[in-house]
Amino acid sequence: MSSLSPTVFSKAEIIQASRTADWLILVLSFLVFCGGFHVHAMLTMGDWDFWTDWKDRRLWVTVTPIMCITFPAAVQYWMWDKLRLPLGATFTILGLLFGEWVNRYFNFWGWTYFPINFVWAATLVPGAIILDVILLWSKSFLITAVIGGLAFGLIFYPGNWSMLAVLHQPVEYNGMVMTIADIQGYHYVRTGTPEYIRFVEKGTLRTFGKDVVPVSAFFSGFICILIYFIWHFFGRWYSTTRFIDQY
Amino acid sequence: MSKSAIRTWAAAGLAVAVAATSLYVPEASAHGEKSQQAFLRMRTLHWYDLNWSTDKLRVNEKMTVSGKIHVFKNWPETTANPEHSPAFLNIGIPGPVFTRVESYIGGQFVPRSVNLELGKNYTFKVVLQARRPGRWHMHTMMNVEAAGPIIGPGKWVQIDGTMADYKHVLTTLTGNTVDIEKVGTAGIWGWSFFWIFFGFAWIGYWVAKPVFVPRYMARKAGDESIVSPTDVKVGLGFMVATLIITWVGYNAGNSANPITIPLQAGVIGTMEPIPEGAPTVEAKVEQATYRVPGRSVILKVRVNNRGITPVQVAEFETAGIRFLNGSVYKDETNYPPQLLAPEGLSVDDNSPILPGQSKVITLTGTDAAWENERIADVIYDPDSRFGGLLFFVDSSGFRSMAPVGGPLLPRFT
Repeated sequence: MSSLSPTVFSKAEIIQASRTADWLILVLSFLVFCGGFHVHAMLTMGDWDFWTDWKDRRLWVTVTPIMCITFPAAVQYWMWDKLRLPLGATFTILGLLFGEWVNRYFNFWGWTYFPINFVWAATLVPGAIILDVILLWSKSFLITAVIGGLAFGLIFYPGNWSMLAVLHQPVEYNGMVMTIADIQGYHYVRTGTPEYIRFVEKGTLRTFGKDVVPVSAFFSGFICILIYFIWHFFGRWYSTTRFIDQY
Repeated sequence: MSKSAIRTWAAAGLAVAVAATSLYVPEASAHGEKSQQAFLRMRTLHWYDLNWSTDKLRVNEKMTVSGKIHVFKNWPETTANPEHSPAFLNIGIPGPVFTRVESYIGGQFVPRSVNLELGKNYTFKVVLQARRPGRWHMHTMMNVEAAGPIIGPGKWVQIDGTMADYKHVLTTLTGNTVDIEKVGTAGIWGWSFFWIFFGFAWIGYWVAKPVFVPRYMARKAGDESIVSPTDVKVGLGFMVATLIITWVGYNAGNSANPITIPLQAGVIGTMEPIPEGAPTVEAKVEQATYRVPGRSVILKVRVNNRGITPVQVAEFETAGIRFLNGSVYKDETNYPPQLLAPEGLSVDDNSPILPGQSKVITLTGTDAAWENERIADVIYDPDSRFGGLLFFVDSSGFRSMAPVGGPLLPRFT
């Protein structure tokens, strides 16, 4: 057989080859996004998501969506602009969660024995689905950024409260009031993460009384809009093909 | 390259990888305390009168590490100090092999960071509950913001039993009894993986149809029919379901836990030191040399006994290493042997220092620990000054402590 001979002949073979390509690209890109996004997330919001005693009403709520709308914005551009596939956000967020859960289960629990209820990964899937559906419905990156970005920030806290609430029950512990999450942080010794490193409940939202979560979530949503714009340009740049026609 | 050659090289590579990662697995035996610069260990925190309540226990049993901390007055100016930076009483163990159930400085419970005054002494106590079986190296430890962990003496402790038996039950202020090791775990698994499956369902809807090549070709051809009205309806259905499920989950969290509070944070404050009157014994170093070949430090010290009983030099401590004047004082605390020189301190004039007397004595602290624990490296530091504690004892066994320090001159011959 000549090297120039076609490798597929019939329509069935073409379909078969196309589907094989689909699965190869899906699996490989899932793993690539998993790796890249996971490193990005650990470097930018690591401890806020590693430990329950960092999952506070201000910084965790603010930082996590802002740092996690990045890859979804970029990949949404590629998948929508080139393929009209509205699943870039969910695809990358699932890649991130896959990496995070492998890390939390095998490293944090399996290797160093921190219990899962102390080191669980926050879910970002609700925001990702909303981001994808708004793009599908509006077919506009502008509307996706404004409405989807805001929603991505707003839904993060209620989406995780079902898991977090039980850990914010008050306990009297040796004469002090602490949440269960605080006690976990005190209980499970981290020699490299002393208590003063925790960047939680800091800020100037005192005038909002105890209702600081909505303020933090709205602020996060606004910044998500900006970050979406910036990162969707990354997607545009990285999915643009240019040819050099002159040497 | 032929297929058989590829197989051979792949097998060889795999064998090397397996051998490198599984045949040689050395035990991590310490926490890098020897790597901390000598001046950091000599002139920051001095841990003394230490006691480990046991060195062998079973899962769920508790042990106590207690003693005193002297916060060195001549703290290196290049290192943040706990008077101005938050400090956290930690414990140096390899992960949560123990859980810390109580910790105190000056009798106050300290689950968060505190401040300590330079030159003061504090009592401390850490209560630990055994969790993971094994033989673990346990250090006293204080983290100081911007200075990092300052590690004290370490000791090996054996835990027997099974980690599955570990339990720590608490009662919340709302009356719920919870095992902190397991509380909320089922909900975390359930909600996390529900959302993951839900996300995959959304992806599955799209990848059930041809994905890349046909869609790319259609897109290039300007064919927008690859997104159908049905696709939009399904998408809106997913979004509505997402909003409803999130609302249900949020309300479920609230109704199951109607009273919650935010995380508790913030520096507790400056701790109460051990009350001190005028020092009964004062010591001032007039000259200090370190003789490299002999692994010994020679201190010429002027001692003033301002007390009412005669005293003798009992011990010189620096960086957790204790040099004892064996003819005067014996250790009965089962101190880590690598950090103890039971006969390591000699005194040129061992006669008691009488009340009101002031005299100059020469102390020689000799032991291989100077090298083994890398304290001798202080002579290569940019600021070759040492710090330590001198202990005196009277005939009744009462111990007095005096901090000492100053320039350290090396002798290389």
